[in-house]
Amino acid sequence: MNKLLALFALLAVSLAFVSKHAIAENCEFQMADMNWPSATLMANVDKFILEEGYGCKIELIPGATTATFVTMNEKGKPHVAPELWTNSVAEPLEKAMEEGRLFSAITGPITELGEGWWVTPETLKRHPEFKTVLDILERPDLFPAKEDLSKGEFIGCPAGWGCQLSNQSLFIAYEMEKKGWILVDPGSKAGLDGSMSKAAERGENWFGYYWAPTSLIGKYNMKLMEFGVPFAGYENWNGCVAKGPEVCIDPKPSAWTKSIVQTVVTKKVKVMTNVMKYFGKRIFPGPIMNSMLVYMEDNQAQGADGAIEFLENYPEIWTNWVSIEAANNIKKAL
Amino acid sequence: MLEFFEEFPDMSRGDLRDFKKVIDSAFRSFSRTYGEAIESFFDPILWFLIWLEKLLLATPWPIIMLVIAGLCYLGARSWKLSLGSILTFALIGYLGMWEDTMSTIALISVATLLCISIGIPLGIWMARSDRVQALVTPVLDVMQTIPIFVYLLPVLMLLGIGKVPGLIAVCVYAMPPIVRLTNLGIRLVDKDIIEAAEAFGADKKQQLFGVQIPLALPNIFAGINQTIMMALAMVVIASMIGVRGLGIPVLQAIQNQYLALGLMNGLAIVALAIIFDRVLQRYGKRLQNYRKGPNND
Repeated sequence: MNKLLALFALLAVSLAFVSKHAIAENCEFQMADMNWPSATLMANVDKFILEEGYGCKIELIPGATTATFVTMNEKGKPHVAPELWTNSVAEPLEKAMEEGRLFSAITGPITELGEGWWVTPETLKRHPEFKTVLDILERPDLFPAKEDLSKGEFIGCPAGWGCQLSNQSLFIAYEMEKKGWILVDPGSKAGLDGSMSKAAERGENWFGYYWAPTSLIGKYNMKLMEFGVPFAGYENWNGCVAKGPEVCIDPKPSAWTKSIVQTVVTKKVKVMTNVMKYFGKRIFPGPIMNSMLVYMEDNQAQGADGAIEFLENYPEIWTNWVSIEAANNIKKAL
Repeated sequence: MLEFFEEFPDMSRGDLRDFKKVIDSAFRSFSRTYGEAIESFFDPILWFLIWLEKLLLATPWPIIMLVIAGLCYLGARSWKLSLGSILTFALIGYLGMWEDTMSTIALISVATLLCISIGIPLGIWMARSDRVQALVTPVLDVMQTIPIFVYLLPVLMLLGIGKVPGLIAVCVYAMPPIVRLTNLGIRLVDKDIIEAAEAFGADKKQQLFGVQIPLALPNIFAGINQTIMMALAMVVIASMIGVRGLGIPVLQAIQNQYLALGLMNGLAIVALAIIFDRVLQRYGKRLQNYRKGPNND
C-alpha cells in the first residue's frame, strides 16, 4: 500500500513537473535593462510576467542603447532589447535583420510615443476647435510671447540638440513667422521642462516641442497635436528638415518623422513560441506608460517596484497579453 | 545596540519621500497662487531689458560703435581704449556675432548696474554694523556656492524661461564680490583717519562719503571688476534658461563639438568683459587721482 502511494505521489509530482515544463519550454535568457525609466519598467514587467507566468529565467543586463545594440548584434547577448529606439541604429539593425541575426518581436510596444508638438490639456479644453497644429498656427494671440506680446510663442528644442534643427526647419516650412510666431530657444532641457511645467501648473496655454513617453507628459497630461499634414517623405525629412535652415532652404511642411521603437530579439529567443507570442501582444498604451513614469518619479521607484505597481493596478491591460493560465500564475505571485 | 553605531539612524525611505513631497507640493501651490503676482512684479525690469535690447538692435551699427567709443573715452579718457573697443566690435560684427553681442550687452549692463546699485549700499551697511555683517555673510556664501540649477528650478517654475530668470541667475552669482569688497574696503580704512575726520567735526554722513568711501575705492573697484567678470561668465548659464545672446551659440558648440563656433563666441564674451572692466577701472582710477595729485598731498 505504501509503495503504491509513493508511486502515485511520484507520478503526480512528475506530472506536475511535466505540465509546468510544458508551458515553460526552455526559456532562460538575458534581457537588456536600458537606462531610461520606460525601458527599465518594460524590462521588469517582462521579467516578472515571463518568470511567474511561463517559468522562464531571465537575467537583466543594464546598458545604454548603443552598447546594448552592439553586443546584441556582435555577441548575440543580451537576447532581448524591450524598447529599442531604432532611428539611431537604423542601418546596422536593417543589416542584422537581413542576415538573420536580430528579429523584431513587435514594432511599437508603447503607443503614442515619439516627438512632436504638444499643448496643455487646458488649451484644448478652452479651445475644442483645435484639431491639428494647423488650427493652432492661426491663433498666435493665444500663446503670447513674454518678451513680445504681439507675437505667439512656440517653444522649440534646446540649443545644439538634433531636434533644434528640425524645429527650425518646420518653423520655416509652416511659415510661422509670417503668421505671427516666434521660435523660442529654451536653452536646455531644464529650460524646456521649466517652461512647460510652469504653464501646465497654472493652466496656461503652452505650445512647444516635447517627446513621450516621459513623466512630465504624463504628469501634466499634455496633449500631442496631429500636424494636419501628412508626413512628406524621408527625402524631405532626412535630407532637408533634419539638416536645419542653413543647409535646407526650402523645407516642405510635414508631420514629425515617426520614431520607430521595437522589441528586438536574437535567434535564441525567436524560437521560443510562448515568449514571442507574449511580446507580440505586449503593447503599453501611451497614457498608462506616462502615468507609470509619474508614479516612478514621485516615489523614486526602481524598475522592479514600478513593474509590481503596474501589474497590480492594470490587470485589464496585461491579462490580454498572456494566456489565462499564465495570468493566474502571475496573480498568485503578486 | 551595535546596529545603532554601524548604520546611521536615518529617516525611513517612506518618511523621507513624504518629506520631499510636502516641500515640493508646498512650492507648487505657492507658485500657482503667487506666481503671476511675482511675475508682474518683475515686469518693469523685463520691459526695460526688452527696450534696451531692441534699442541696441535697432540702432545702426556705426552709431553703436561711436557711442561705445564715446563712452569709453568719457569713462577712461583714453584714446587707445576707445580705438581698441572699436576694433573689437568691428571684428565681432565681421564674424557675424553682432546681434548676439547686443543682446548680451543689454543683459550684462543691466545686471552689472543692478548688482552695483544693490551691492555697494549693502556692503556699506555691512561695514557699519557687525550684526548685519554676521547675517549677510552666510547669505553671500550660499549665493556663491549653491549649484545654480538648485535655485533656478524654482525660479523657472515661478517666472518661466526668459530674461528675468536669466538676470536673477546672473545677479545671484555676480553680486557677492562687490558686497564683500565694499565691506572690506570700508572696514580697512584707518581708524586714526576717521578719528581725525571726527575731530574736524565731520558727521557720520560726511565721514562716509568724504573719507570712508573714497579711501575704500580701490577695494570697491576690485569688487566691481569681479562682479563684471562673474556676470559675463554667467552668460552661458543664462542662455540655458532661454536668454538670447552669445551663450546660445556656445551651448550649441558644446553640444556638437563645434570648436570654432565655441571659441569665437567664447572670446567675444571675454572681449566684452575686458572692455567693460577696463573702462570702469580707468574711471575708478580717475576718481582717485588725488592720490598722486600734487595739490592734495
